[in-house]
Amino acid sequence: MKGNKLRLALLLGASGLFLLAWIFPIFWSLLNAFKSEQDVLAYPPKLIFTPTLAAFRDVLFGPTSIVPNLISSFIISIGTTVVTMVLAIPAAYALARLRVPGKKWSGFYVLATQMLPPVGIIIPYFLILRDIGWIDTYQGIILIYLSFSLPFAIWLLVSYFEDLPFEMEEAAFLDGASRLMTLWRIILPQVRGGVAVTVVFVFLNAWNEFLFAVVLSGNVVRPVTISMFNFVSVEQTLWSKLAAVSALAMLPVIILGIIAQKHIVKGLTVGAVKGGGRR
Amino acid sequence: MTKATTLGVPAGGRADPARMMEGRERRFAAALLAPAFLALMATTTFPLLHLGWTSLHRMDLAMPYMDGFVGLDNYRELLGDPRFWSALGVSLVYTFSTVILQVALGLALALLVNGMRRGQALFRIVAILPVVLSPAVVGMVWRTFMLTPEFGVVDYLSMTAGLGSHNWLGDPSLALLSVVVIHTWQWTPFAFMVLLASLAALPEDIYEAARIDRASPWLCFLRITLPLLRPAIVMVIIMRTMVALTAFAAIFTVTGGGPGTATEILNLYAYRKSFTELSMGYGSALAVALLIFTLVVTGVLFALRRAK
Repeated sequence: MKGNKLRLALLLGASGLFLLAWIFPIFWSLLNAFKSEQDVLAYPPKLIFTPTLAAFRDVLFGPTSIVPNLISSFIISIGTTVVTMVLAIPAAYALARLRVPGKKWSGFYVLATQMLPPVGIIIPYFLILRDIGWIDTYQGIILIYLSFSLPFAIWLLVSYFEDLPFEMEEAAFLDGASRLMTLWRIILPQVRGGVAVTVVFVFLNAWNEFLFAVVLSGNVVRPVTISMFNFVSVEQTLWSKLAAVSALAMLPVIILGIIAQKHIVKGLTVGAVKGGGRR
Repeated sequence: MTKATTLGVPAGGRADPARMMEGRERRFAAALLAPAFLALMATTTFPLLHLGWTSLHRMDLAMPYMDGFVGLDNYRELLGDPRFWSALGVSLVYTFSTVILQVALGLALALLVNGMRRGQALFRIVAILPVVLSPAVVGMVWRTFMLTPEFGVVDYLSMTAGLGSHNWLGDPSLALLSVVVIHTWQWTPFAFMVLLASLAALPEDIYEAARIDRASPWLCFLRITLPLLRPAIVMVIIMRTMVALTAFAAIFTVTGGGPGTATEILNLYAYRKSFTELSMGYGSALAVALLIFTLVVTGVLFALRRAK
């Protein structure tokens, strides 16, 4: 009995430590966003202080406002999501439910494109976009984001389309509905949940992307993940402002993550599960 | 002969309805697939071909007058380039250490939480936070609020514990450790979530039988849990390896590959060569080498997965 209690205490301690290790860095940077610059720099670190919104006020309405960067992030993410879904829904439907010439190879091709190292894509893309003058443009960055969002969205949607019973389409055909109408009126409403989950993940991945953004950004396209660097330089770090910017960059994805929490595992593993099944 | 015509288009010129339906379905499917596949080819296949072609050229954006076809010169240079071999080594260390840590810690925590009667939901929610964040933001938070000497929380803890203050990111011997820890911190929850889901799906009755046979918990773990969990573990290993091989943002944000080349994985080297030193031709050859490296590692992992 005594041994059991000790074990329980150890297990609770270990799991508590894990929990703390994960929460703390996020919590700490969020906390610092509500501190004054003096409180941030206090030694030893302060857990209790008078909260202030000064840092948020500065980064939102001050001379180095990040509002344009937040807007830029939203344009990139929403643009990528819309284009991806328009292309991915028909393709996923065809792969999941129709007789497609070379189906196996098409599926494998989509999967293989997911494994490419991004740095291998960005070098040629930079050269091409430079030649046509698309560096620092939204169409340039959204186009290249398709390289990772499209294969992901297709695979995720295929898994939802495959869950539907086949009788559904047959019944629609017998009623004389055209195939496109069937997809639009009958099938799509049945997978709205899956479409919503896909939208969340595509948006999230676009919001978080960094390598392509570093290379292709400029004065027009300047997402918040890039503008973060304005607050750290060799001379000085603007601590509380940096914390506020990080908080603003984290906020949308944390909200989306919590909304989609039941689907996170599926969203994260979809390609691998599929690839395993087909091999 | 006559049989073939009745199956295909019969002599009367009237198409067989089933056959016609099938043809129409194929055309419809092709029409649905075409836009996505064109986009995929334009954004993945075409750049790859372009990359291979560029890697056979000398292309210095700083010295365009020297540009030209050089055949395999870039690759020859690469084989004798100590910085390439160092980057390959750092990539290997980074990939293997982060993947092993993630799987080991993720599995340990999944076992812990799976045994809990209450509080699982809390762990599930908290585990989501790191994985949805941008690696660039995660890197920035660690670089500043966690690891800055005499200010960051980690350094504060180190000093309080009597281990002294360290330059976690500026000291070559600590920098690689730091970026490994950051990657592990961000992605262990992924391994945890996947393994917890698999654990929860394991059949109860096997454990019941083992309990009746008075098998020790350790034996249960080794003989029952681990073999049943193997497919999930292998899948996590494969997925995490793929991601570790393409890692970029966190290291770029935290150390930029430095100090020196202490944290310069192949991705970083190819990036720095191409976009800092503007040597696109050689950078492309590095990216091709990275691609080959990725293919080899993937091949090995999938062979491992098929082996029993």
